[in-house]
Amino acid sequence: MTRPSPRTVRRLIGLAVLVLWEAVPRLGILPELFVPPLTKTLAVLWSDRLIYFGGLMVTLYEVFFAMLIACGAGIALGAVVGGVAVVRNLMLPVVSSLYAIPIVILYPIFTAWFGIGSESKIAFAGVYGFFPVMLSTAAGIRTIDEQYLLAARSMGASLPQLITRVIIPAAIPTVLAGLRLGGALTIIGVVVSEMLTSASGIGYLVTINRTILDSPRVFAAIIVVLLLSIAFDLAVRAIERRTMAWQTAGRRVASSEDVRAARMPAPAAA
Amino acid sequence: MQPMAKLKPQPETTRANAVEVTGVSHIYHGRDGAVPALTDIDMTVPAGRFTVIVGPSGCGKTSLLMMLAGLRTPTSGTILCDGRPIPSPDPQRVGVVFQEASLYPWLTALDNVEFPLALKGAPRSERRERAQAMLKLVGLGSFGGRYPHELSGGMKQRVSIARGLVQGPPVLLMDEPFAALDEQTRMTMGHELLRIWDETNKTVVFITHSLTEAVYLADEVLVMSARPGRIIDRVAVDLPRPRTYQMMATDKFGQLRERIWQQIRAKE
Repeated sequence: MTRPSPRTVRRLIGLAVLVLWEAVPRLGILPELFVPPLTKTLAVLWSDRLIYFGGLMVTLYEVFFAMLIACGAGIALGAVVGGVAVVRNLMLPVVSSLYAIPIVILYPIFTAWFGIGSESKIAFAGVYGFFPVMLSTAAGIRTIDEQYLLAARSMGASLPQLITRVIIPAAIPTVLAGLRLGGALTIIGVVVSEMLTSASGIGYLVTINRTILDSPRVFAAIIVVLLLSIAFDLAVRAIERRTMAWQTAGRRVASSEDVRAARMPAPAAA
Repeated sequence: MQPMAKLKPQPETTRANAVEVTGVSHIYHGRDGAVPALTDIDMTVPAGRFTVIVGPSGCGKTSLLMMLAGLRTPTSGTILCDGRPIPSPDPQRVGVVFQEASLYPWLTALDNVEFPLALKGAPRSERRERAQAMLKLVGLGSFGGRYPHELSGGMKQRVSIARGLVQGPPVLLMDEPFAALDEQTRMTMGHELLRIWDETNKTVVFITHSLTEAVYLADEVLVMSARPGRIIDRVAVDLPRPRTYQMMATDKFGQLRERIWQQIRAKE
């Protein structure tokens, strides 16, 4: 008998979780208030689909602009911090320390400045996702092998050519790792801020239904957030596959997980 | 028939010397103030010759090579490459091959060789053709589609050589190109390099730590002292060409190698 592949095992575990989700409350092992059965949750999700769809649209709208801020500002500032030694020495220690602060404590200030509408969520989640993008962009640029630049100069590359043909392609893997993390944090930032203070969005649906102890509707909202995160992850993977074909070429035997693990930003060993 | 001769594009210099270095010194401004890295270097490399520079670590060999490539400016003295000063890199006059890992991992072997042509904005078809010809010259004609990580160390250095030669420079500078290779591959690559050199009539300036490699490859070996680097000996290698592995076992080879070794050891 052959050992089942990891993929098969993973699917079986997933299936088991779904079965338990249904069985545990039905059998009375846990009260339905704690865990409503899967079918009940899905039924609510379907009957309230317009509400959830509306909430998802609000959340998506906020996530989109927050990611624009996080990625745009993160890449731009990260490039400056990584590329210019003076700025790096000035800013990197500060930014690294800021990164450790639970930024969510600033959210009340954001609501004071931007109100309780989408603007405060966009601003908060944008800042939340900004740090990993910026730090990994800076690391990606700073850790480029000097030899790449020297070789390019010996071949007569101008500064713009150095940037577009060497620095950017060399930094892409690290920057993408940052975008992945930053993007995930942006989704978290939006949902958390919707849960704290707001009048719309998926996070709001979680909070409002929790206060009235409507567990199936809370879980339905959680399912929507899960789907949103999974969709984001799939999108990032697709981008990675397109931009980094060179890393996997000839290594198709390796699973995508192996390749992704190998690509995690290394500690500044260089 | 005099006018006919004039029509032929003759280089300004009579091409007697491909590289001329006169009184070059380099002072490196580091954390501890000014450190003299090179003092009073004079060297000439006649066109088509193979010159090897050896010396202890940190003697400024690489600095010298950077200056020959136009990547660094000497503090004093003059450097002429192909008869003209080289204030900035000029891949049509001087090609450079580095120690290792200077191929771009996101480009295929063929794209790596095309890279300098792409910088110049050469048309795609011409780039392809010339890069393919260079890969063929270095024995990798059918490996153009591979990425660097799919090539062995020796193959990568072949691609680097192809890239250094693709713009057709008369001078090829090599900074310990085979240092990261295992002994067997290193010997093979040395032999291959001599074949390529013979086919293309390039002038080569080659830096190495290996005395065997130096004697095996060179027409002339320049021995440098420890920092500040000076040229302390010039050893003409009058072994016949083409060189063979058997020559390494000869007394002549041993004597040349020993002479260089004594120079380097005495200064350490």
